[in-house]
Amino acid sequence: MQIISWRAVLHDMLLYRRLIALQIRAQLQYKINVLIDIGTYLAVTVLEFGALLLFFGPFPSLLGWKIGEVALLAAIMSISFGFAEMAGAGIDNFSDTIRRGEFDRVLLRPVGAFTQVIGSDFRLRRLGRITQGTIAFVIALRLLPNLHWTAAKLLILPISIISGAVIFISILLLGATLCFWTVETTELTNMLTYGGREMLSYPITIYSQTLQRFFLFVVPIAFGSYVPTCYILERPLPFGIPSSVAFAAPLVALVFALVAGIVWSFGVNRYQSTGS
Amino acid sequence: MLRFYFEVARTAYRRQLIYRWANLAGLLTNIFFGAIFSYVIIALYHARPVVTGYNVQDALRYTWLVQAMIMVVLPFSWFDLMLTIRSGEVVTDLSKPCDFYWYWFSREVGRNVYYVFFRFLPTYLAGALLFSFGLPGDWHSWLAYGLAFPLGAMTGITYRFLYNVIAFWIVEARAMVTLASVVALFFTGSYVPLPFFPAWLRAIADWLPFNGLMNIPVEIVLGKLNGNMLWLAYSRQIFWLIVLTLIVRGMTLLASRRVVVQGG
Repeated sequence: MQIISWRAVLHDMLLYRRLIALQIRAQLQYKINVLIDIGTYLAVTVLEFGALLLFFGPFPSLLGWKIGEVALLAAIMSISFGFAEMAGAGIDNFSDTIRRGEFDRVLLRPVGAFTQVIGSDFRLRRLGRITQGTIAFVIALRLLPNLHWTAAKLLILPISIISGAVIFISILLLGATLCFWTVETTELTNMLTYGGREMLSYPITIYSQTLQRFFLFVVPIAFGSYVPTCYILERPLPFGIPSSVAFAAPLVALVFALVAGIVWSFGVNRYQSTGS
Repeated sequence: MLRFYFEVARTAYRRQLIYRWANLAGLLTNIFFGAIFSYVIIALYHARPVVTGYNVQDALRYTWLVQAMIMVVLPFSWFDLMLTIRSGEVVTDLSKPCDFYWYWFSREVGRNVYYVFFRFLPTYLAGALLFSFGLPGDWHSWLAYGLAFPLGAMTGITYRFLYNVIAFWIVEARAMVTLASVVALFFTGSYVPLPFFPAWLRAIADWLPFNGLMNIPVEIVLGKLNGNMLWLAYSRQIFWLIVLTLIVRGMTLLASRRVVVQGG
């Protein structure tokens, strides 16, 4: 039983790779367009980041966080979110798939529905945000000349960026599941993704305790940005959580993704198609 | 003819009434983002009580006024006109026995009136309740705002029209639309209030058309612009409104001369 399911997973992953390669090749047919899109997205996100830095003109710090520290936090968040946006585009579009009745066709094919949905889109232009995040990261490092790097701190970067992206994609999946009943993408999903990104580009201690708990324990976006940033900056976490919890990010992401996956398959089984 | 434009505006207003749930969702989004910015501002003010004459309450009011006005003045990703150009529907609008520009202008005025009632007021109210910052200013500044807000909203319409009409020349201009909206939002204070800008950037922002969209009306209602400053602010708004209207009308004229309908 175990062996068969692993084989299915491997098969789906290979298929996913082919679907993505297809998407990328299709988008590269219009090279100028892709470049303009990436450039525009880069400009938009750079402006957002610039705005964040501007706050530190008149104000010396944000609840004890200096400009470089907030910049580092925002940079990690941007990169992580950028990957999620790039890979999760197919899930983000899911309401269209449902509305057009295309999901019926998806279900008829002998491949997992999730693989097809996530493989249906891959937005190269999101490279714009990832580029911005990288630039922001370099700026943050310039602003933090005394930051002491260790091997563990370097390791935490990729771990948390990937975990954060997985958590964001899981939120998208939960939102897509809602579409089975509501057809429309709900603003609720957007608030958790775009809103969550915006909120967690700042230290979560500026929010109420309820919100802090929410982003740590319920929808654990903080594990992709705030928690690792605190580890790198050697700052204490709220509620007396030990800072080494940053290494648990993959586990947290996995559990959250599992929950999202269970909810999703529940939705798929209940799906009754749209139309008249 | 005026009666016709009035009816166009009224129809646009009534069309908006249908999208109740979409508006509610948008309202929640505005409130949500307003709340995030408020938390940031409150935390920043822990370090310093007053910045360029703005205390924390002023800054909160500024944020929520901008957040409330966005849908009226600078709706994000407004493609309505661009889509008619791309689909060719624009031809029917161009051949209507009325002025193409004023037709769209009236439509947007109707839409704006809707958003004043169903977005601007509830957003500000929600903010005032959540963060209890009440109503700013006295009746003088509200009266002055009553002129500045419509001026900003009308400039917003011309600006919207401007970046959409580009589609006559460039078919796929969505990226440009996004950038145009974001640049305008940035320079009218919806990311960072203009009073927080460093002096050199503020000097640039003051002379841009975006200043009059939201920053000037908000600064007026907060009672920050008085006497000569107030008249200068109005002049800036009116100047840009006239200039943008002329540019847009010129472009429409050019476009309608060279428009070729694709069909089949």
